[in-house]
Amino acid sequence: MAHPVQLGLQDATSPVMEELITFHDQALMAMFLISFLILYALSSTLTTKLTNTNITDAQEMETIWTILPAVILILIALPSLRILYMTDEINNPSFTIKSIGHQWYWTYEYTDYGGLIFNSYMLPPLFLNPGDLRLLEVDNRVVLPIEAPVRMMITSQDVLHSWTIPTLGLKTDAVPGRLNQTVFTATRPGVYYGQCSEICGANHSFMPIVAELIPLKIFEMGPVFTL
Amino acid sequence: MAPEVLPKPQMRGLLARRLRFHMATAFVLSLGVAALYKVGVADKRKKAYADFYRNYDAMKDFEEMRKAGIFQSVK
Repeated sequence: MAHPVQLGLQDATSPVMEELITFHDQALMAMFLISFLILYALSSTLTTKLTNTNITDAQEMETIWTILPAVILILIALPSLRILYMTDEINNPSFTIKSIGHQWYWTYEYTDYGGLIFNSYMLPPLFLNPGDLRLLEVDNRVVLPIEAPVRMMITSQDVLHSWTIPTLGLKTDAVPGRLNQTVFTATRPGVYYGQCSEICGANHSFMPIVAELIPLKIFEMGPVFTL
Repeated sequence: MAPEVLPKPQMRGLLARRLRFHMATAFVLSLGVAALYKVGVADKRKKAYADFYRNYDAMKDFEEMRKAGIFQSVK
């Protein structure tokens, strides 16, 4: 989850999110470069009494400040497209889970092994235990394995929702009448949080997602089916 | 006695000279800022991830978390 006053992205728990963080660093570096250039040019303009009221054209300058931004944009677009296609790679997932958005809770279906279906509601503040996170905890977490590709099929039963876990680099819209697919491979065990990311009514802020990631060996022993 | 004649001061092209100097300085400094960010933030972060995962033991991490009682599915 995010820390208070956190500015940057959450630490990555999947290789795709690591790539996204690296790309964010590259894009932010380009932004700092341009912003500093503009700031310097602005302060330089404001701190001189010298003027020239006879400037008519500046073809060389105009060429440079057309070509250079185009080059910067291409340098940003290339890694962006690489990651975009990387996120669409389907690498034979070993496990499929369905996530269905409702107003205002999620339903998870584990239909690969038997027919486990359960709802996941936010824990109201009065039901929290000491140390629990307000507006983030749920009654039933979605339990997933690490180090194995997992496919999530996401849809909605009523209005638009969005199933999100920032640390895994996942954000997929839940659209009624449509099945969206996202695949991920987690690298670390733990409990990871996300929140619905598409406005869906009064309790849009109160339908969080909590994923419990456990090692594949432990997952295969079936703890999720004894919940 | 002839009065001392000072050299004629530079009277033209002052703005152009200033612009040339500051434009070059701006480019160099902004490339420096970008390089500083790359070395101080981006490369440092990549190294931190590489160092973390070099000897990472997921099972050991999991066992510590399980003993701390954070999981619902395994106690």
